[in-house]
Amino acid sequence: MRTPNSVLGAHASPLQRAGRTLPFGDERHLLAHQWLVDEAWLLDAQAYEEWLDLLTEDIHYLMPVRVTTAAGAGYDTSPGMAHFDEDKYSLSRRVARFLTEHAWTEDPPSRLRHHLSNVRTFATGDDDHLIAESATLLFRSRGDVREGALVSAGREDLLRRTPDGWKLARRTIMADDAVIRMQNLAIFL
Amino acid sequence: MTEYSGVLADVRRGMIPAHIYNDPQVFELEKERVFGRAWIFVAHESEIPDAGDYVVRRVLQDSFIIARDEQGVVRAHFNMCLHRGMQVCRAEMGNASHFRCPYHGWSYRNDGRLTGLPFHQDAYGGEAGFRRKGQRLLPAPNLASYNGLIFISLDPAAEPLADYLGDFRFYLDYYTKQSVSGIQLHGPQRWRVKANWKIGAENFAGDMYHTPHTHTSVVEIGLFREPRAAKRKEGCTYWAHVGGGTTYKLPPGDLDERFRYVGYPQEMVDRMKQNLSADQLKVVGEDGFMISAATIYPNLSFVHNWPKVANTDQVLPFISIRQWQPISEDETEVLSWFAVDAEAPEEFKALSYKAYLMCFGSTGMFEQDDVENWVSLTSTAAGSMARRLLLNSRMGLLEDGTEVAPPLNPEQFHGPGLAHPGYSEFNQRALLARWADHIERPMAGTPRLEMGEAVEEPR
Repeated sequence: MRTPNSVLGAHASPLQRAGRTLPFGDERHLLAHQWLVDEAWLLDAQAYEEWLDLLTEDIHYLMPVRVTTAAGAGYDTSPGMAHFDEDKYSLSRRVARFLTEHAWTEDPPSRLRHHLSNVRTFATGDDDHLIAESATLLFRSRGDVREGALVSAGREDLLRRTPDGWKLARRTIMADDAVIRMQNLAIFL
Repeated sequence: MTEYSGVLADVRRGMIPAHIYNDPQVFELEKERVFGRAWIFVAHESEIPDAGDYVVRRVLQDSFIIARDEQGVVRAHFNMCLHRGMQVCRAEMGNASHFRCPYHGWSYRNDGRLTGLPFHQDAYGGEAGFRRKGQRLLPAPNLASYNGLIFISLDPAAEPLADYLGDFRFYLDYYTKQSVSGIQLHGPQRWRVKANWKIGAENFAGDMYHTPHTHTSVVEIGLFREPRAAKRKEGCTYWAHVGGGTTYKLPPGDLDERFRYVGYPQEMVDRMKQNLSADQLKVVGEDGFMISAATIYPNLSFVHNWPKVANTDQVLPFISIRQWQPISEDETEVLSWFAVDAEAPEEFKALSYKAYLMCFGSTGMFEQDDVENWVSLTSTAAGSMARRLLLNSRMGLLEDGTEVAPPLNPEQFHGPGLAHPGYSEFNQRALLARWADHIERPMAGTPRLEMGEAVEEPR
């Protein structure tokens, strides 16, 4: 996955993957995979306060806008624009809003299912950091009769070992649609 | 039009037949008579700054290549090969000197001129069989720009853009002319919502009344300095010719203090003082109103707001330009750009972008709740009961037509058009009245171009 430039990511950890995919039997892979599955459960349950606790204080949470460009153009994300380009403060406001009684877009709540697959884990050259790559397919159903909506995306995560367990320090979400087919992104991926 | 004369008469008195928000027959008329006639925004010049830069944008189903040619001239051409009708450019943005059709290899320069025609002599007998010289992709019937905003009209007889925008240009300048360099656009974010396109246009034109309720949550989480969304009723709405918008009432202060109150650094205020007219500055400095949301008929809207972007009391303004691109009677593609003055300090640009992302666009916390309402409204408007219901859009008027509050006088509001204090639906009615005028008038015949006939050289 090509890492796109982001406007607000200067504070993010610059650590990159080192070496080949860790074997599926490697403890570090098992750890990262379980972390992602547990996280997906929290996102399905919309347990967003617990989810926020899994993010480091210097989190950078980025979802670029994908654009259709000619082969060889050298870029496939919109320069200077993203869907999410978040730090802990902006994510905390989003979570706080869902916890009010007036976030109409989630009242009644959506039924969410984050399908997780294609997990690959990489070392970083720093024992306290791992990089995990994954695919996610979010199915979101609202109301009784509306058709469900899908977002398909690839992700690259930087996980960090902290005294409180492993936390997410950086996430890049590459949606597979240029035009999002969901009424809003009042969800997390 | 007789079958719609009742609908249009109801719309004009502010009683809106609910089915117009989800009616395939109404949408057919809109495609022909609204979008076949009005000036439609397609891009901003800052999106194509260099020779060869292009973006591909649609007006309904019609795809146009908006390109800057080698001479720096902005052009808009229908994205269809003159030969077999293939889409010539299939990327949505990029830089190219030529566009080559992937089907038979016809190629066009970025000014639209046909240059490459494989086997011209063998297949056509050269110029005697097919006159290559002077052929170009079909140009948009009309193209013009204001403050770098590029519009096209599918109506060859469209009035000049300046006349179409009229007095609304006064308000457009606040969003797009804060310095001589104007704005730069980023984006758009694009997403599809199952809502009728008119609902967003009406909402941004004048609906201050929805803010306290729909957007309660963003106030509760401390995103704004003002503790109550109900403050909106102290603002005013204005309507000027082709568009209208909403404002917030600012606390006491002079011009500089009021611009700084919403988060503009003094150097940006100084540039605005040089670039805006005396009356444009009086609306802020003397009248105490700051522009917020607005719509230009039919489907281009603007936002200007000033949330907190960090855990401090500092607020920061952002501007968004958005288009409600109709897909069908019950689906709209939203295109939402972030706009910022090109001369703004880099740090301001970054934080203004952050403010935009938090509030509007595909992930914006305001927009999330708006869309939920509009989707719901659209689906409810589909059935037979909606054909029996006239929605009351007469806010601001008593039954006999007198106004609940008189319009602001020229000393209270220095902008053109008509401004009303507090909550009302004057603007939504004005928008739909223009819509009714278009729906009522059939189109004159559409000119046709034969491929291969001589067409005018580009100017």
